[in-house]
Amino acid sequence: MKRTLAIASLVVLTASTAALAQSGPKPEQLIKWRQSVFQVLAWNGQRIKANVEGTTFNREDVVKAANSTAAIANSGIGALFAPGTETGKGWHDTAAKAELFAADSKVGTLAANFSQEATELARIAASGDQASVKAQFGKLNQTCKACHDEYKAKD
Amino acid sequence: MSATPASQRIWDLPTRLFHWLLVVALLASFVSGEVGGAWIDWHLRSGLLVVALIGFRLAWGIVGSATARFAQFLRGPAAIRAHWRGQWRGVGHSPIGGIAVVVLMLAVIAQLLTGLYTNDDISFDAPLSVLVDKNTSDALRLWHGRLFYLLAVLTALHVVAIVYYLRVKRDDLITPMLTGRKRLDPERSAALPQPLTTPRYVAALLLSLLAAVVITWIASGGLLNPAPASAPMIESTTPKPAW
Repeated sequence: MKRTLAIASLVVLTASTAALAQSGPKPEQLIKWRQSVFQVLAWNGQRIKANVEGTTFNREDVVKAANSTAAIANSGIGALFAPGTETGKGWHDTAAKAELFAADSKVGTLAANFSQEATELARIAASGDQASVKAQFGKLNQTCKACHDEYKAKD
Repeated sequence: MSATPASQRIWDLPTRLFHWLLVVALLASFVSGEVGGAWIDWHLRSGLLVVALIGFRLAWGIVGSATARFAQFLRGPAAIRAHWRGQWRGVGHSPIGGIAVVVLMLAVIAQLLTGLYTNDDISFDAPLSVLVDKNTSDALRLWHGRLFYLLAVLTALHVVAIVYYLRVKRDDLITPMLTGRKRLDPERSAALPQPLTTPRYVAALLLSLLAAVVITWIASGGLLNPAPASAPMIESTTPKPAW
């Protein structure tokens, strides 16, 4: 009896530890990561903007920022919006609206548009002139706005 | 009262141009703001045009033609009560219409102020946003959005009032704002102030245009150059690390 109980306890303990390990990062961590992702995107966006609006066009800097943006856009950001992260606090309260997580959410399409334009920007940055980079940067920003309008809380 | 009404000039050209350019600039701001993204640069430009127009109108309301002056159409409670009872016999903006002018202008000014300090949460920072912290700038974006609805409601009321005058009171306010001219009965003709002499008109026009240029220059961050002490550029103070 004692032995059975001991084995049973061990099995339960192991199973629950395994379950815990499989559950992945906590929601708070996921929200922190996604908020950080957008901050890094903001940094890169600022670098590109400075170069397309200024008198000097530093291609090296633009290429770094565009490649970094494209890499992030294609990194599977959606995983950071996993179920369980609808509400909560990362670095600050999440600004994601409940609709983003709904069954009929268009966030996947909007994210794909973002990835597509970011990839295109990286391609253009490598060879294009300042005007074409600026035009593509505008297109990329449009995809940011499309998603913010739908799924980012205004307050 | 039975004498034939004579066509008189009640709105000068600058006042009319202000009005219709404001319509165009506000519509352009609405569209460019809604589209956003790559169009945000145009939103800034149309917003600065509104700044210039308001700057001009504020000055023109002090030094311009009589019917355009705030002192002429901003009246006390007695005049407003008399107007309400249908006893107003003046020309230009009526006492209640004068209040509407000021309310509409204040709403536009509030929209301009919130816009000039905000950001688009993507890659656009309005010219004066460096003067406030990020949280404030973000909060002002929220207010910029809310004030749009206020502005839309006030504009709708403005149009409804014009239609009410046209249809119910049989008083066409639109044509005078286009042509500057309105048929006035002798009593109102007598109330029409003398137009400015040419030298005073030109001086007032130049002064108002100067006001528009100065205020637009300030709104676009003219006073912030070179980089303000509150937001020093990292590049300018420290050399960039090679990596």
